[in-house]
Amino acid sequence: MNFREKTAWLNAIAPLAAYTLYFGLILAGHPAGREVFPMLWLFGSIAIAHAIIAMVGTAILWAQAPKSERARADERDRAIHRRGATIAYYVLLVGTTIVAVYMPFVTSGVPLANAGLFAIVASGLVNSVVVLMSYRRGWHG
Amino acid sequence: MASLPFTNDIRTLRFLAGEMTQGELGDRVGVTRQTIAAIEQGKYSPSLEVAFRIARCFDKPLEAVFQWTDGNS
Repeated sequence: MNFREKTAWLNAIAPLAAYTLYFGLILAGHPAGREVFPMLWLFGSIAIAHAIIAMVGTAILWAQAPKSERARADERDRAIHRRGATIAYYVLLVGTTIVAVYMPFVTSGVPLANAGLFAIVASGLVNSVVVLMSYRRGWHG
Repeated sequence: MASLPFTNDIRTLRFLAGEMTQGELGDRVGVTRQTIAAIEQGKYSPSLEVAFRIARCFDKPLEAVFQWTDGNS
């Protein structure tokens, strides 16, 4: 497994773990599901932890990778990431439409904000999974 | 995953070029070793530019490296 594929795994697992914890706590009744400041604290903490894990993990993978694998992304890498971003865009579009067009009629405040965050996180995860699958199984760019 | 409508002889041409490695070919073409491996295995369809660069590395015409296989013109 090369550097870019390992990075794709990191980019799939780190947000999955971080936001499973965040939304799991909310579903379990954490005040972040109802009140603004607990939500901002919990989300901020988890987002910062996720960012640190992603940066440190990428730095470790980069340091361990052979020099030849650290080269700039080539056309296949760019095609794979373009495909991931394109599919994730539609997930974000659907999620944002639900959150911004439908949900204001049935809820408001923190639940609405959390639904928006879920749409963003879900689209990011779809992006990561598509990129990962493309590296593992091949994808005609 | 649908298979590509063409095959290639890159592995054979690398062998005939003194067992050129995928990494060496990738360096000369300007792509990674993994991309050369994916092209060889039919998992990635290269751009026209990369296809021509590969052919030029072996001093061959494009059709000597890539062959259309599905019967459609």
